[in-house]
Amino acid sequence: MSSITIDTSASRKVRELLQFLLESGKIDAALTMRKIPENNSYDLGLITDAANLDEAVPIIPVMTVNAGQVLSSISTSGKKIAAVLKPCELRAFVELVKREQGSFENLLTISHTCGGVFSLDLVVAEKIEELLPKYEKIISKGEVPINTRDTCRACEHFIPMNADITVSVAGECESGKGCVMYLNTDKAEEFTEGFESERGELKFDPSALQKMLDTRLAEKEKLFASMTASGPGLDRLLDTFGKCVGCHGCNSVCPICYCLLCDFESANFDYNLPYFEEHLSRRGALRLPPDTIFFHLGRLTHMSFSCVGCGMCSDVCPVGIPVAAVFKKTGEKTAALFDYVPGRDVEESIPVMVYKEEELSDLG
Amino acid sequence: MTDASLQGAVLPAAKEPGDAVLDFLRLAITKEVADAVILPMKVPSGDSYAWILMNDLSLLDDAVPIAATMAVQGAKALRSLTRRGPGNLTVIAVMRPCEIRAAIELTKLGQVHPDNLILATYDCPGAVQLQKYVDDPTGCEEHFAGMQQSGKPDDSAKPVCQICEDFSLFDSDIHFGYLGLSEKEVLVIPGSSRGSELLEKLGLTPARDLEGWEKGIDQLKADRVKARESAFEETEGQLRGFDGLLSVFANCIGCHNCQSACPICYCRLCYFDSETAEQNPDALITTASKRGGISLPEDRIMFHTGRMAHMSLSCVSCGQCSDACPVSIPVAGVFSFVADRTQRTFEYVAGRNDGDPLPLRQFRKSELPGVHELVKDADAEVPSHE
Amino acid sequence: MKKEFTPRITSFLCKWCTYTGADLAGTARLQYPVSIIPIQVMCSSRVDPVFLIKAFLSGSDGVLIGGCHPGDCHYETGNYHARRRFAIVKSVFESLGLESDRLKLSWISASEGPKFARVANEYTEEIMKLGENPTRKSIFL
Repeated sequence: MSSITIDTSASRKVRELLQFLLESGKIDAALTMRKIPENNSYDLGLITDAANLDEAVPIIPVMTVNAGQVLSSISTSGKKIAAVLKPCELRAFVELVKREQGSFENLLTISHTCGGVFSLDLVVAEKIEELLPKYEKIISKGEVPINTRDTCRACEHFIPMNADITVSVAGECESGKGCVMYLNTDKAEEFTEGFESERGELKFDPSALQKMLDTRLAEKEKLFASMTASGPGLDRLLDTFGKCVGCHGCNSVCPICYCLLCDFESANFDYNLPYFEEHLSRRGALRLPPDTIFFHLGRLTHMSFSCVGCGMCSDVCPVGIPVAAVFKKTGEKTAALFDYVPGRDVEESIPVMVYKEEELSDLG
Repeated sequence: MTDASLQGAVLPAAKEPGDAVLDFLRLAITKEVADAVILPMKVPSGDSYAWILMNDLSLLDDAVPIAATMAVQGAKALRSLTRRGPGNLTVIAVMRPCEIRAAIELTKLGQVHPDNLILATYDCPGAVQLQKYVDDPTGCEEHFAGMQQSGKPDDSAKPVCQICEDFSLFDSDIHFGYLGLSEKEVLVIPGSSRGSELLEKLGLTPARDLEGWEKGIDQLKADRVKARESAFEETEGQLRGFDGLLSVFANCIGCHNCQSACPICYCRLCYFDSETAEQNPDALITTASKRGGISLPEDRIMFHTGRMAHMSLSCVSCGQCSDACPVSIPVAGVFSFVADRTQRTFEYVAGRNDGDPLPLRQFRKSELPGVHELVKDADAEVPSHE
Repeated sequence: MKKEFTPRITSFLCKWCTYTGADLAGTARLQYPVSIIPIQVMCSSRVDPVFLIKAFLSGSDGVLIGGCHPGDCHYETGNYHARRRFAIVKSVFESLGLESDRLKLSWISASEGPKFARVANEYTEEIMKLGENPTRKSIFL
């Protein structure tokens, strides 16, 4: 497999590639982050006309929506699409494909080593441009920038899995010089054929990012430890989720939660008055609407093993519950039960769809 | 605002108006005229409130009837309790006027069964924005105490509270009036025959004239009406033209938090989340091709304008949508403005319990003259049609 | 005088094995505690994780799933799936610091009346040691 040396900023090079792909008719559409014309913010664009790529900023530490989730609704169009995804977005998409919510068939995936994304608050405050130079400097040194999502700082999967093309951004190059595009698959070679660029035979070397990995693992330990700091389980649970307003925003932005109607919004959880009477007589009081905490525990059991730690849930929570941290921590445990890594391999079945006869023998 | 013959009973408030409300509820439970009450309580982490249905008198001591912020719209609590029918419990719910108004709308929509509910409201000085409250509960409690003193929402309050005209006695069974009263007392005003009966059973006689209190309320109202006019003017300016609409909602990420926090949007599965509304992938790419590109997730403007069409007639301007928005879009300001227009078109006031059905559940053969002109001329006045 | 604590153990029992086993224990006049509240399910795999959580949050002191021994499922593989789901719930409880000992999975066949009585007794004793589930009194759940 070959590599392409980048003589300009990585984001610009990817934009040029998208331009080439659209102009040459190799793809019908490109999915990429872009600048919103209305303000200084960003959104995810599906671009079909190369002339409209000017606003595109394929590599930008902003995630307004998990692109894996969006891709699931367009990947089965039969049209050829190139998608620029952050590693966790790609992993989320893999999880969705396993659930028959998307297809890789007509897709060229471009991903990059990821320094983490800024929290949405900063995006809304239009602070990104101001913060970007420092951010790029920090990740080029293989360090972990502050003011990114807590789960980003604690994420060890910042090197893309399964991408057709990997763009190295972190650890070895500063924007402008020395970044490399690694072509990982035949598909990548095929699509980039004819793209004017300086080719080489470079192999992606993860060891260059060891420092970043170490820092992140340490950050993760710190994050997880901070969550177990106080009190027994139930009290801690109430401390964390007690202020939940039940908007289920965490669920609706979660790329894994693809159900049109979540069980917890269904009529299964409407109760007749005797239910409330019984609770009143037993406890003397009951929270309304009921099942506020139940929802989170239920979601943890339903999807945590597929959680990619993208952090969307925490960013949309109106009361600042660290949803993502809890799900990441719990998800690592539930996935580890089955040696599962979400997004690692599209052929790997999700743990609840399969079983082994000889396993979990300590149970039952 | 009120009927001239209306009078209130007087309850002393030990320290703050909420104390009188609690005394009233204790009396109601002790005398067994109510089986349970619904009140806000501080959550264990201390930085927000939750609705608690309770019949245990000892728990009442920890309840905060007039809470500084509105974490969950009260009508949603009432909906969860009575969605499947009224049941046998007599429950007194003490909520903000906009929460009771939302509950009345939900009653018309068949989502709340108020047969055994006693809906109580109080003079609402405004609610502190939820995110601000969570960030600094202590500071916000101070802000709220000040608002209760003056009756005026300050900067910590939701923007829609600053322009709310219906913050006092509206259509509830019982109303607790206190704004503008100098003494430490609270007026208990019956707003319905059910309310009057309740007062009688509790041995409270509404003998106090309301004139003084009403005057104070009217003054506060005048301020808010003024603020409302200028706020609407500003919103109208922002929304002008399609570009205006686009730029107001430019940052929308399509999470639909506004909808799920909305007390009126009761559908389990919103049309805009359903398969029917989902564009098939081919069509989406075709749309993109026609324009050279589109922003994803798709149909966000469609979602907001669609929601305006679906629910603005019942919008009570509680502001929960803005509080829930992760990207700080002034959803409530826009919806409040639009709701004002759509409701005026039908001379409808959301939350009025006067037997007037929802505008879309009825029609008159001759009505809405000038609607055609309205389409032709976007700047035309919304027609009034006596 | 303090009322003696009688645990409540919500028990989801497979119709084809454990539920019949419980019947057998009864007809054989084997003693087992009243704490067991049996709910018949068609297969242990019918028990969605949320059943366990709901029972726990509603104040059950223990939650038991009884199913067929591995390899003996009436539907061939249901209990293997049940085991995975149970492992997930247990793991979620552990990582949140909730008392995962309040959840139990047991394989008891239709002929194992004595085993059912034994499991019922032992599990009840275990739960007695844990005491009342604090969720019984919590009003913010």
